[in-house]
Amino acid sequence: MPDTILAPPPPPPAPEATLLDSNELVINMGPQHPSTHGVLRVILKLDGETVLGAECVIGYLHRGVEKIAENRTYQQFAPYVDRMDYVAAVSNGLGYCMAVEKLLDVEIPERAQAVRVILAEINRIASHLLWLGTHALDIGAITPVFLCFREREEALKIFEKYCGARLTTHAFRIGGLQYETHDTFEKDCLAFCDLMDEKLKEYHALLTGNRIWVNRTKGIGILNAADCKDYGVTGPVLRAAGEKWDIRKAQPYSGYEKYDFDIPTAENGDTFDRYMVRMEEVTQSCRIVRQAVEGLPAGPIKGKIGKVIKPPPGEAYVSIEAPKGELGYYVVSDGSLNPYRLRVRPPSFVNLGALDKMCRGSLVADVVAIIGTIDIVLGEVDR
Amino acid sequence: MANPINTFLLTDLLKGLWTTFKNQKPSLVVTEQYPRERPPVMERYRGAPRLNTHPETAETLCISCNLCALACPEQLIVVTSERNPETRRKDLTNFTYDTSRCMFCGLCEDACPVDALELTQDFEMATFTREGQIWDRQMLEEGPLPTEYRH
Amino acid sequence: MEELLSSPYLPPLVATLLIIALFPLVAGYMVLAERKVLADLQVRLGPMRVGPYGALQPLADALKLMLKEDIIPSGADKWVFWMAPVLSTFTALSAFAVLPLSDKFYVADVNIGILFILAMSSIGALGLILGGWSSNSKYSLMGSLRAAAQMVSYEVPLGFATVTGIMCAGTLSMQGIIQAQYERGVWGAFDNYLLMLIPTVLFIIAGTAETNRAPFDLPEAESEIVAGFHTEYSGFRFALYFLAEYAAIFVISGICVTLFFGGWLRPFPNVGFLETPLNVGLPVVLFAAIALACIKGATRQIITGFKLGMFGLAGAALLLAALFAVPVINPLIVGLFWFLAKVAVLVYMFIWYRGTFPRFRYDQLMDVGWKWLIPMSLGGLIVNSIAQMLARS
Repeated sequence: MPDTILAPPPPPPAPEATLLDSNELVINMGPQHPSTHGVLRVILKLDGETVLGAECVIGYLHRGVEKIAENRTYQQFAPYVDRMDYVAAVSNGLGYCMAVEKLLDVEIPERAQAVRVILAEINRIASHLLWLGTHALDIGAITPVFLCFREREEALKIFEKYCGARLTTHAFRIGGLQYETHDTFEKDCLAFCDLMDEKLKEYHALLTGNRIWVNRTKGIGILNAADCKDYGVTGPVLRAAGEKWDIRKAQPYSGYEKYDFDIPTAENGDTFDRYMVRMEEVTQSCRIVRQAVEGLPAGPIKGKIGKVIKPPPGEAYVSIEAPKGELGYYVVSDGSLNPYRLRVRPPSFVNLGALDKMCRGSLVADVVAIIGTIDIVLGEVDR
Repeated sequence: MANPINTFLLTDLLKGLWTTFKNQKPSLVVTEQYPRERPPVMERYRGAPRLNTHPETAETLCISCNLCALACPEQLIVVTSERNPETRRKDLTNFTYDTSRCMFCGLCEDACPVDALELTQDFEMATFTREGQIWDRQMLEEGPLPTEYRH
Repeated sequence: MEELLSSPYLPPLVATLLIIALFPLVAGYMVLAERKVLADLQVRLGPMRVGPYGALQPLADALKLMLKEDIIPSGADKWVFWMAPVLSTFTALSAFAVLPLSDKFYVADVNIGILFILAMSSIGALGLILGGWSSNSKYSLMGSLRAAAQMVSYEVPLGFATVTGIMCAGTLSMQGIIQAQYERGVWGAFDNYLLMLIPTVLFIIAGTAETNRAPFDLPEAESEIVAGFHTEYSGFRFALYFLAEYAAIFVISGICVTLFFGGWLRPFPNVGFLETPLNVGLPVVLFAAIALACIKGATRQIITGFKLGMFGLAGAALLLAALFAVPVINPLIVGLFWFLAKVAVLVYMFIWYRGTFPRFRYDQLMDVGWKWLIPMSLGGLIVNSIAQMLARS
């Protein structure tokens, strides 16, 4: 492995060369590794167990999603976006549909907007649950992952009941919704919120107070607000650094301005703060879902939109607050049936850029904690 | 961890131990023993495709309009038909559906104007060959055989 | 022939062979128990498909491991790679030589019993270090370095806690320690006005670390260094490491039970009227209940073979219950029953920790070891010796 791929570490105090003088150790973490969340490869430069530098090698899951978009019609591309951040497929679909709707300049009925918010928030909870489970597993607590999957199952059941798929949902269509809500939709969503409120206590009992958990997460992988902005980091990572930035509040979309919710923030920007922010976000998502379900308006579910979608030439950028951060879709239309160019701003990919900054000087065990706390999905990083 | 007594008595750790201990109640087990227990599949589930026939005459409902093939993002549907000289309508000759490439997005189902093509609740579609994944008209009309497991 | 039968070496030899032959099976079932208990803690079912309720899973696993290809990495030091798991297993099993399984069943009662076990478990660490080093893999090397540091630092508090226990008993012989607890009329853990609880807790914590169990499982921390020192091991050698790990758990639990929980003594060994209910009543009721549970479980099985297997288990449990009810046989086996029951409780606790706690980090582990456990175990030793002195004078 060439030495140049890693940025030079801060110069250590020149040691006296002895027989026991050890060299820096370069190890490959991944692409096959239990805790790199898929196929991330991190080249770690170590001094003993201290990390001198980390370099991410990505692309093992590259499928050319943006190129595929250029060869599909606007409707046909919608299922593909689910496969980028596959744990938050609904949010992905929402962003894409909104981008095309902006190009088309159509009005979305209120009922459709409310249902979109409900599903996107439930998806946020599901995504955070998966994050919590795997993050705890990385740090060595093996029980939360099963509890989280148990609760996530309930969220997936809501998706399955609503649109017929559990993971890659393809829940929304351009212009509104394809499916009318099922009979028990409201009841299911409220029951899920109640369940989450109750189960969150269990997670807190298992992790939040636990001294080992606190030791493993407090002060690890610190990224302050200024660095976050430099790296373009968004989402819970940014909010944990104290920046009150949430696109749902800053640039409300899909009727988020109607709901009353808080943006949880923290101060230190370390792993523990990110954990607390995400846990609090689950509570806030439950709040939004409750409000949206109670105020679910009647009416049509699809806007005025033709069978063939042919947006006028132009371009549109829409960003939404996905569970992992700012998810942006930039669509360029040349007036034909297919997008001329489609570009995705994936939050995981941008957030992963800060890995090296967060890892330096920590230990190998912290690297897995930091990869976990960024909350990456490799399908989205590599696209 | 402000309280030194709590720190010394390991209350935080005992709390976690108690949480996991409580979870041992047998009624809390959530494992489904597939295939002995089949997971309940929702009504709208998008699974194996089916080409519907008329329940009485057993004639296909498909009018060979090719809309499903056009809607499919993966272009995995091939509809072949020939024009019937008497009725001046297109008669379906074959309909192939490559389930190995299907992502069950449901766009074909949405496109069908006569509810002929439908994604059903069947989800056991594994075959031993790649060719077996390409379903023809007969397979689509009859549906996959229910899988039986022996143990 | 007669000479052979009357030889003083015969009983220890038979016991040794029995332990070597049976322990792999016991270890296999400890793995199954671990998987089942972990599953319970995690709202799962655990193995269910091989045999009724997964009862034959250990055999299937053992068969699989033996049939697997035995891979030696190309850059590995072949002899050391071959030696390391053998060394680990050998030392772990040899510690059984002095473990007082019951008042009747043990290999040897030597006057330095506990020293021998501590020495053997220290050599066991060498197996991990050599295995990790010889694999010629960076992950393995890191795992073995962690193992070395961890074992060295946790041996100290473990030693202090043991010394406290020995001091309380006044002998190094394992049988002698249990006898001493009988004479003092109280389990080691509750001796010296409950002050002995300090070394007991410390022993359990340090023992968890010594056996590389979660939350101290750094040498094989799978989410960090893949599988630690046995990353490159496969097949039967891997099985040997597994065997060594579970043997070590058994041995550490055995020492803990001997030192602090009265070994094969029943609870309240000096309260006479509890003799019949605890030594006869409890085992009989327990095994009868197990038999009932087996019969109830058998009715739920669909496959005939599994059903018969469950009935067989029920029969075996009933037979054991009957054995405990026979006055001639009861005194022979009740010691073993109590010892194994106490070990089982400790092993359950090991699994319980694993199911609950996150893993320590390398430096935190050292902090806990040197800054907390060692001073506390030293303090425990001093406090207990003062209490002992006051009690004697």
